[in-house]
Amino acid sequence: MDEFSVILQIIFWGLYAGCIYILLATGLNLIFGVMKVVNFAHGEFLMIGAYITATVFFLTGANPYLIIVLSMLALIGIGAVVERLCFRPILGTGKLNEIFLSIGLIYIIQNGAAMIWGDAWQSIKSPYSGITVPIGPLAVPLDYVIIMVMTAVILCGLYVFLKKTTIGMQMQATSQNRKGAMLVGIDVERIDVISFGLGCALAAAAGTLWVVSGQVFNPYMGSIPAIKAFAIIILGGLGSIPGAIIGGLLMGLAENGAAYFLGGIWKDAISFVILIIVLVIRPTGLFGEKGE
Amino acid sequence: MNYRILVIAVLLVTAALIAGCSQQQAATGVIKIGVIASLTGPASNVGTNMWQSAQVAADKINADGGVTLKDGSKAQLKLIVGDDESTATGGQKAATKLITEDKVDILVGGYSSAVTSSYEQTIADNKIPFIVTGASSPIITHRSDGIDTSYVFHHCPTTDTYGQYTTLFIDQVIRPAVNKKLGAADTRPFRLALLYQDTAFGKGIQTAVNNTITDNRLNIQLVSQQSFKMGESDFRTQLTAIKAANPDALYLGAFPNEGAPAITQARRDIGLSTIFLSAENNDNAQFYKDVGQYGEGSIIESRFSPYTAPAGAVTQDQASFKQAYFAKFGTYPDMMGASTYDGIFIAAKAIGNAGTTDKAAVRQALVDMKMPQVIEAMKNQTISFSPDFRESSFDLWMEQLAMNATAGETRPAIVWPDNLKTTDFILPSWYVAGNSS
Repeated sequence: MDEFSVILQIIFWGLYAGCIYILLATGLNLIFGVMKVVNFAHGEFLMIGAYITATVFFLTGANPYLIIVLSMLALIGIGAVVERLCFRPILGTGKLNEIFLSIGLIYIIQNGAAMIWGDAWQSIKSPYSGITVPIGPLAVPLDYVIIMVMTAVILCGLYVFLKKTTIGMQMQATSQNRKGAMLVGIDVERIDVISFGLGCALAAAAGTLWVVSGQVFNPYMGSIPAIKAFAIIILGGLGSIPGAIIGGLLMGLAENGAAYFLGGIWKDAISFVILIIVLVIRPTGLFGEKGE
Repeated sequence: MNYRILVIAVLLVTAALIAGCSQQQAATGVIKIGVIASLTGPASNVGTNMWQSAQVAADKINADGGVTLKDGSKAQLKLIVGDDESTATGGQKAATKLITEDKVDILVGGYSSAVTSSYEQTIADNKIPFIVTGASSPIITHRSDGIDTSYVFHHCPTTDTYGQYTTLFIDQVIRPAVNKKLGAADTRPFRLALLYQDTAFGKGIQTAVNNTITDNRLNIQLVSQQSFKMGESDFRTQLTAIKAANPDALYLGAFPNEGAPAITQARRDIGLSTIFLSAENNDNAQFYKDVGQYGEGSIIESRFSPYTAPAGAVTQDQASFKQAYFAKFGTYPDMMGASTYDGIFIAAKAIGNAGTTDKAAVRQALVDMKMPQVIEAMKNQTISFSPDFRESSFDLWMEQLAMNATAGETRPAIVWPDNLKTTDFILPSWYVAGNSS
């Protein structure tokens, strides 16, 4: 394996990791954009998505890539309930309340998951495990190609939803100016529920792709990805979906590049080094606008 | 009628008095053993196993009559658990509560070197004997920061020991097999790669491998040494770098939740067709499940396995322990559970030998301890603690995994050393040796 192939391979792993981050961060940004809520428990929705996928897979043996639909639908419902019961009552009462509420949710959801599914590390096997496809000089596992394609499809679907549907446009309007949206008759509370549910569904998609790629999972798996998702949306610009996509890819590539060139212990740290540099040069993030 | 009521009342009062007397008698003949285990938090799987194994041990000792004290009286064991919550602060709370509130006579348990070392000051302050059965860093009894560990006894192999055993196994068994396959001379350096957790545990293994190669002048060349942070689940980049270094084998200093995905990713995603060697904590049922068919041909250094037992004296004892554990809890014990089971027997024996629960006397009994091995294979089949760092010496083994069609997973068989092995090591047909090009 020559040095060029090694670098290409590492870029490929960076793109794969970026896909998971993009889905998680896009969901988080969707929620923040519309509701301006800081949800630290977002990683826990990734974890629930992972467990729903694994549970359905264990029970039915169905293709885990198809279970992603079920997982996303379930998380739309769970997200809507969490928004209605937890976030709506405290909306607008101060950022501190939102932060503590979401931190509380982390513990409740983690322990709830541990009670239901146990806290042992688990994993599932993809039906395409062991199949490789040639891409240039590389022979890459089919699973990662599917994961990248599915991420692109989900993002395209989100784009169409936001740009072409009435609810999508109402979400954009609420994101741009909540009071203005209310004045023109948009039911912003309904938009809040939909945004929160959709954000959670994107986290569920990230969770499904996480487990399908053979990564282990347990009830505490969501915390670190959630912190990274926050770094990504700050990096990309709060509320900016293109920013979340570019930030996610950048994060995936930077992490894997750092693991190769600097050593595995730099994998997490490098993201925050980049974040600090970007914030010093451009405090609103890569795609953020003033006032966000 | 009234007489009947009177008689019943008298009988009830008498029964209550007798029960009270017998309870008082029992209270005087009770040895309280504090078991520190992670019942909650990330290590709760291991911790629960340790606590349940301790209960199986206490049940057996109590059923056999308990512990004989100096005055000839018999005492029963009473276990009290302290949950360290898988954290250093939780460990400090648990140790303090067991010592000051529950007033236990001796402590057994302790998992994770970072957690266990955090409450060693409390142990030193209270001068209470502590048999550590789960933490594997040598730091437990080798502290250089002035904390007195003279009451701490380490009954769990350290990273020094298993790093050394594994490297010697590579030199004595894998290296000749690879040379034979290649038709190469014995002078060909064996190309070993390391992938280790960036903690005291992983670095301990890295240091032990390096020291063993240097001290024994082994013909082993470390071609790649990659680290990862604790809890990592994506090893693809490090494995890509390792593959580029063309290794003959890869030694993983990893926990099971890291080792299983690392091996899976190496074979499935990277195409690294080599021999993987894992540390003993990977020898649990979940690891076999997670690694699936990709574990085939790999090696685990072990001292207690859910699926095999060494040839020799402990075969039957390990089977009996597994049966008793299954009968009580419906699951099977793991390695840290086995050493904790041993630990309860050691604690009972030390108090029996001391003839008292006086802590200084029990400590001295542990220093002088020479008891037959319980369920884990020990050097010379005897449990004793080294005079310098109070560490017991285990007879470790290497097991190789092979696919089991019935289980749909791999299962281990012991391949080294000669006195414990049940079969021979083989290089899998798909194995690809490294080259220096």
